[in-house]
Amino acid sequence: MLAYTLRRIAQLVPVLLVLSVAVFAFVEALPGSIVDTLVGTEGGDIEEARAILTKEYGLDRPVHERYVLWLGRALQGDFGKSLVTRRPISTELLSRIPATVYLASVGIVLSMMIAIPLGTLAAVRRNSAIDYTAQVTSLAGISIPEFWFAILCVLLFSLYLGWLPSSGYVSPFEDFWGSLQFLILPAAAIGFRQAAFTTRLTRSSMLDELSKEYVDTARSLGHSERKVIFKYTLRNAMIPTITISGLQLANLLGGTVVLESIFAWPGIGRAIFEAILQRDYPLIQAGVLILGFIVVVMNLLVDLTYRLLNPRVKFA
Amino acid sequence: MSELEADKLVDGTLAWRAPPAPLRSRRLATALSNAWHELRKSRTASIGAVMLVLLFGACIGTPWLATHDPIKQNYRERLQPPSEKHLLGTDRLGRDIYSRLLYGGRRLVTIAVVAVALSLVVGVPFGVLTGYFGGLADTIGMRIVDGLLAFPGLLLYLLFVTVAQAWKLEGVMIDFVLVSALALAGMPEKARLARGSVLAEKQKEYVEASRAVGDSSISIALSQILPNIISPLIVTSTVRLGLVILIVAALSFLGLGTPPPTPDWGSDLSAARDYMETHPLIAAFPGLAICYTVLAFNLFGDGLRDILDPRMAER
Repeated sequence: MLAYTLRRIAQLVPVLLVLSVAVFAFVEALPGSIVDTLVGTEGGDIEEARAILTKEYGLDRPVHERYVLWLGRALQGDFGKSLVTRRPISTELLSRIPATVYLASVGIVLSMMIAIPLGTLAAVRRNSAIDYTAQVTSLAGISIPEFWFAILCVLLFSLYLGWLPSSGYVSPFEDFWGSLQFLILPAAAIGFRQAAFTTRLTRSSMLDELSKEYVDTARSLGHSERKVIFKYTLRNAMIPTITISGLQLANLLGGTVVLESIFAWPGIGRAIFEAILQRDYPLIQAGVLILGFIVVVMNLLVDLTYRLLNPRVKFA
Repeated sequence: MSELEADKLVDGTLAWRAPPAPLRSRRLATALSNAWHELRKSRTASIGAVMLVLLFGACIGTPWLATHDPIKQNYRERLQPPSEKHLLGTDRLGRDIYSRLLYGGRRLVTIAVVAVALSLVVGVPFGVLTGYFGGLADTIGMRIVDGLLAFPGLLLYLLFVTVAQAWKLEGVMIDFVLVSALALAGMPEKARLARGSVLAEKQKEYVEASRAVGDSSISIALSQILPNIISPLIVTSTVRLGLVILIVAALSFLGLGTPPPTPDWGSDLSAARDYMETHPLIAAFPGLAICYTVLAFNLFGDGLRDILDPRMAER
């Protein structure tokens, strides 16, 4: 296990390098240089300012040197300053991460709370009304765009019924119950869509388990159906479900951009989106790099957990 | 042995290669009826197929089916409910929603199909070649694929769109950049699939036999192994088409697609939000159109998977 873990960590290095080159190349692919953007806002002696800024940003050096310089600073957590707010990008972005993690993790927990019972029931009562409902609902969940679902929820619960606020954010550490009010709609939109995938997976892995020989053995030994399902099959069937939920959580960290902008949720996705509208390129660059890094690391953690839960997988 | 000699040696092959035209069309008809017969095995696939035929029919027939110019504004007829003149009513600028849906769908489906086709064209040879040659090529290739997969959610597209905006690209060029980003993001899935199958097929006897006859490596990889991985590729591509539709709609919903007045389901839906409380139908139609399209691809893909992989269908 240790050797495997170390090898996987070593494999992360080239992946992260590819990611960083791609993100660096993105800014290189932009027309003009950052200096033009900066000088445009500052006035004064333009030529002198240009020269100073060119030196400060190292733009007088060749591309590969700039890449190494940029990567070296990024590794120390120094992404430079935002072109818009002039504050360090690292503080700007890190302050936005908790809101996204809060939304994404509640959304995933919600999806598991829907998907696991529904998927299990659909598999146990195969071809019944419940199975049919589960399959149709999950097909709908996969096909309905989440932004449309979110809009319909706002229309119904905020505008017509007036039960919930249509957008906004309160930190759960300041006012827990108040923050839940704002959380319900976006988390439900995430939960509904992700549950669609997880329900299908739970159903098919549960069907897989139920068709195995040990289930017949357990039944022939006289164990109740309840015990067979809850004690034996469900536990095994949960392994892929939990794995997928972990991967979904990782992917959601960068995937809540749309919902964050609909619900005015101050997460990292919206920070990147706003940076795009304001052409704050260093912030976009840093945001994508940080999220990419988190996703790669989380994928590794999920994979290791999967192997820990499931000893049958060889450490090849 | 040159190709010409081979043709002379096996006369039957030559005759088979150039069948008379009527025979070819009859063969196409047979192939279609065979395909339909196979599809009937899965109810999901046949429903999806019918929905897709309607969808593609609407996309091809848009110029004839549309009743109005999708861009022409008419302030006297703003926010009208569905009527005989405007089948689905009009939007905030008095444009005919039905015609806008048709033109928007035509564009959206075209973008999705081109993007997925491009991801196949790039991804499959990439995966086949890295898998076939192995070694350093394989290692480097797969790290590139992993790097691409590290972009979560919409971020890769956001980067591409940002560059396109910075260069002040317009019209078709924006679509082109978007298509490239979608193809690049779809490529890893195809490459991995192709590579996995190649690794499995490489060991088999028929590949060994081709090599013994003297075929070159690349020719074996592409002509012998490729036909064996067609069915999983078709299934994943169909499902991917649905996903791509969702992504493109989400991007234009965010205002990062083609700018208005171009008809677009995502941006039309976004614009309708301001009138949602008083005119909920305006926001309903583009949403329903997206659902219909994605559902059609998902049903067809699911059904195809059951047909092509009977082991799954038994579940």
